Amino acid sequence: MTEAQTPQPVIEVNNLVTHYGDRQILKDVSLTIQQGEIMVIMGGSGSGKSTLLRHLMALENATSGSIKLLGHELSELSQMDLYTLCRKIGVSFQSGALFSSMTVGENIILPLREHTNLDRTTMNIMARLKLEVVDLAGFENLMPSELSGGMVKRAALARAIIMDPALLFCDEPSAGLDPVVSSALDELILRLRSAMRMTIVVVTHELDSAFKIADRITVLDGGEILTIGTVDEVRNSSNERIQNLLNRRFEAEEVDPDEYLARLMGQT
Amino acid sequence: MAAPDKRGSPVHVLESMGRGAFRFVDAFGFGAHLFFESLYWLIRGRRMGQRVRAEPVFAQMMVIGVNAIPIVSMLSVAIGITLSMQGIDSLEQFGAQHQVMFMVALSVTREFGPLITGILVAGRSGSALAARISTMVISQEIDALKVMGVNPVRYIVAPSLLGMMIVLPSLTLWSIGISLIGSALYVAPQVGTTVSALFTEVNASIGTDDLAHGLTKSLIFAVLITIVSVVDGISVEGGAEGVGRVTTSAVVHGITAIVLTDMIFVFATTT
Repeated sequence: MTEAQTPQPVIEVNNLVTHYGDRQILKDVSLTIQQGEIMVIMGGSGSGKSTLLRHLMALENATSGSIKLLGHELSELSQMDLYTLCRKIGVSFQSGALFSSMTVGENIILPLREHTNLDRTTMNIMARLKLEVVDLAGFENLMPSELSGGMVKRAALARAIIMDPALLFCDEPSAGLDPVVSSALDELILRLRSAMRMTIVVVTHELDSAFKIADRITVLDGGEILTIGTVDEVRNSSNERIQNLLNRRFEAEEVDPDEYLARLMGQT
Repeated sequence: MAAPDKRGSPVHVLESMGRGAFRFVDAFGFGAHLFFESLYWLIRGRRMGQRVRAEPVFAQMMVIGVNAIPIVSMLSVAIGITLSMQGIDSLEQFGAQHQVMFMVALSVTREFGPLITGILVAGRSGSALAARISTMVISQEIDALKVMGVNPVRYIVAPSLLGMMIVLPSLTLWSIGISLIGSALYVAPQVGTTVSALFTEVNASIGTDDLAHGLTKSLIFAVLITIVSVVDGISVEGGAEGVGRVTTSAVVHGITAIVLTDMIFVFATTT
């Protein structure tokens, strides 16, 4: 394979360790995500997947380790360089994080208003275009409070892609949605990748969604990576913890009744 | 074994005081950082490609200032009349009730105008700012700004600070004027003179240094209200209950900061 054909890593995480107080959240996490890839980060509650995503978005500082985003080492960037880098990144938050005081249209054009000198008409046209991409045409004058949960997530996606980013982060895109809306959002993510050729990182605990959209899956458990592989590799993994996670099984815990009672009474 | 209950013990009291002092120093340092960072964006933002927009500044001025005019006016008239009634009652004992307007003008210009307006704005707009920021923190809107490459201090704090620094001294000036009008309307028939004669007296007795004293204080109060509200708003934890808690603490902390600063300012400028 020639160098030109080799996919370029968009994200490189090396030996990332992070703590909240005394508690270690991420334990020596390393992964590489290639250009144009959809990487799904999967794991149960408290596995560290959202923390990893916050580090990738430069919202947290790591205890040790490094993160390279689009060729830039995050810890070496000045605040202004970080803001410049952020223009190439789109983020769709779990809650949508739309500004409640602005209409959907104003939310979507906010990055354009802040980072470009485009006139209002052009910005409005671009907002309508992106709303059409996410099947929300005609909703630009509504307030976020007037939208359903699925619509909020789609509007957040429209805002995330307004600057045509090279990299898109989606935090739990289908959480709290019914299967039909959730499936439509998965289709939308796949469409975005093929239409805009962006690299997409999705954090989810929804197995169906993960298997549908992922090129590769990173499975996290207890702050460490259990495996990184294709959908089939993860499905067929012989690792018991991965199978437990996929089959929603929990490790049985031997309980000593006396110790349990003492714990409830606050004596241990 | 459960740890022994230390509550009420001298060690626990000392621990609590130490933690409180640490939190205060931490909040004070963070507030100072926010203030200087806001000034930085106001002065250098345009050159750095992160300018502070005029639109949110005007929006803040509208909310803090114009919408507060009716309540400020009503309170100011009441303060002016109350001071006049008290003044006439006290000065009559010395046969000096004709000097009441001088006393009211000095009190209102140097003390009551800035203080009452500051307290009113802390309760009305400081709480609103704390509620807005804490809601934005909880709903990840602040994170959304950061990942969009928008500095939250430049986008939220700097316009609020500038708006407050323009509006609070203006409101204070308005409050002083309305208080004096209210006072003059009450005093004139009481001491058998005219309103215009009373204002001539006020003009002669109140100097620009008195006005500067009041307006400088209101400028300091503007900074305090904004920074205290932002620091409290950002410190939110939990959901709606947390928003309620920081909103209340923003009012309490804001008013406390205003009253203490007022005392220090008066001490520094009069002794």
